[in-house]
Amino acid sequence: MADVNQRRVETLGGQPPARATVWAAWFMFFFLIAPSLIIIPMSFGDLNELYFPPRSLSLFLYREYFFESVWMETTFQSFKVAILSTLAGMFLGATAAYGIVRATFRGKKMLGALLLSPLFVPNIVIALGLYIYFARMGLQGTTFCLVLGHTLFVTPFVMVVVMAALRGVDPNLEAAAKTMGAGRIYTFRRVTLPLLRPAMVTGGLFAFLMSFDELVISFFLSGFGTQTLPVKMYDSIVLEISPVLSAISVLLTVLAFFVCVIITIFYNPDRRTRLRLARVAATDTEPLEK
Amino acid sequence: MTRPNDANSATPMVWLQDVTKHYGTVVALAEIDLEVRRSEFLTLLGPSGSGKTTILNLISGMVGPTAGRIWIDGLDITEMPPNKRGLGMVFQNYALMPHMTVFENIAFPLRVRKLESRVIRTKVAEVLELVRLPEVARRKPSELSGGQQQRIAIARCLVYNPAIILMDEPLGALDKKLREEMQLELKRLHASLDITALYVTHDQEEALTMSDRIVLLNDGRIEQMGTPDELYFHPRSLFSAEFLGDSNILGGTVEDTGPPVTISTAVGQCRCTRDCAFAENGTPVKVMVRPENVFMLPPGNPDEHPNKLPARMVDTITFGGVIKSYLRLADGSSMVVQELTRAGQSVPEAGSEVYVAWGAEDTIILPVEGRIETPAPPSR
Repeated sequence: MADVNQRRVETLGGQPPARATVWAAWFMFFFLIAPSLIIIPMSFGDLNELYFPPRSLSLFLYREYFFESVWMETTFQSFKVAILSTLAGMFLGATAAYGIVRATFRGKKMLGALLLSPLFVPNIVIALGLYIYFARMGLQGTTFCLVLGHTLFVTPFVMVVVMAALRGVDPNLEAAAKTMGAGRIYTFRRVTLPLLRPAMVTGGLFAFLMSFDELVISFFLSGFGTQTLPVKMYDSIVLEISPVLSAISVLLTVLAFFVCVIITIFYNPDRRTRLRLARVAATDTEPLEK
Repeated sequence: MTRPNDANSATPMVWLQDVTKHYGTVVALAEIDLEVRRSEFLTLLGPSGSGKTTILNLISGMVGPTAGRIWIDGLDITEMPPNKRGLGMVFQNYALMPHMTVFENIAFPLRVRKLESRVIRTKVAEVLELVRLPEVARRKPSELSGGQQQRIAIARCLVYNPAIILMDEPLGALDKKLREEMQLELKRLHASLDITALYVTHDQEEALTMSDRIVLLNDGRIEQMGTPDELYFHPRSLFSAEFLGDSNILGGTVEDTGPPVTISTAVGQCRCTRDCAFAENGTPVKVMVRPENVFMLPPGNPDEHPNKLPARMVDTITFGGVIKSYLRLADGSSMVVQELTRAGQSVPEAGSEVYVAWGAEDTIILPVEGRIETPAPPSR
């Protein structure tokens, strides 16, 4: 294995990292992940308080979360908003990415930058803008406006991932499909879309996580009965510092972890290339003619 | 072979009628008029940027012309979308769908045409047999070698029997040996299936081997059009002479319109018995002779030859079957002599003084600029 790594470093034309660099990297990694790790033992405490290390272990806080109706309601609300805005974001993001990458028209770059701009505008600015806008339309506080706000927020993430993938799809494949008689929609459905599937899944999962964890926009746009989980968590920090938060945090971390694992499985071009090369190497040694 | 040889066969399969294509301010094609005849193997040859791929893209419909009309089989298809044109295309990078198996790749055009799955299975099996890869149907393209992938790409084209197959440097990514194998394979398929093939390449040897006719392109214009023989033995411009095959070129002035035509050059007189109507007394011209037509004579050789020039040997390189000698003439210009190798052959040492000579019928006289407009009568 060390040999393989060594070779990979060589083919990339670099040097293996110095020992100090490796230690620094590990230190930074633990520094970043420590808060998430500390919360795990805390979530198993049994008293109605946040304490580290917990004085005795129990599932009290988890039971609190799963059987307290207000937590469950906000969790379902979060799932609802995240799923709807992910679907909308995937549709809008993928189609926008296709247009920006494949089409040629005047002002294409400008339009691309505009569509990606929610990435660069601070969330608080978006949130305030939407709040005023929806309040005037009388939509503020509804699930509908939450979904709209989250769609605006997650679409650029899908777009970025799909654009990158689309640049890797040979335009000749689409040209070939068309010369063979396939129309635009048939070509998109049977050629382009299947090739973009890993990117769509990755982008969609990212969008889902972003929306599920989003606080600022939700805080401004939600109202009585439409609170999402992060908004409810924020409220309980401000009002009561409920120890249930530690259990929820652990569950959220686990969710994020699994989504990341799925993304890694779906979106690992390196692994695919290696498999492909191995297979080609195997077939190349066979004689072409009998 | 199956098509009747009636009056209809006089209609060209493809006709580019005064087609011009601009990309922004760049002129990719300037008023090209080009006909592809039914069942012929026509090659578009030229350096990169000469417009050969643009012609292919115009015919396939990937881009539209700035001016002019495009006809396929007597039908104006200038405005027709690519998927309605009924063409086949083979790409340099194969353009096989990576997410489909070989079977699904070849079945793709048939599925578009909504054929029954039983018919699809038979047709795919037939065409896989035709390209001699019947056992790979269930593999993914990435599991095949380059040559196999290109065969599949060709099979995918043949399976729906398009009237014309466009090929954009299809063998460009293969190594030399495989490329030569595939050239013969393509020739075989073309001959047995009676298809019209339009082939793009920048490789002059490939063009000479495979084509019924060659269209030599230069800077968005047709430099010369004709059979491989015509282009090789009767180049009509310096560009044609230099692009196809090797050539020795000397500058000179017409001294006597003959016959034989006599040209005085800085290194001596050259004679030519070929017809060259454009050459008048005093016209500056270029004299061209192919390296394989030149031979060397030892110093002090007393024989008379229509073309005999003193030269000094510089270097000799053996290329397997042929041996090339590089010589320098009195004015410093160079001359290449190509002979077939034989065992025990002796060549003059580097630095030795020799004569280079060739027959008057091997001298080709070309204008310094532009091309001879009236075609030279083929002598072979």
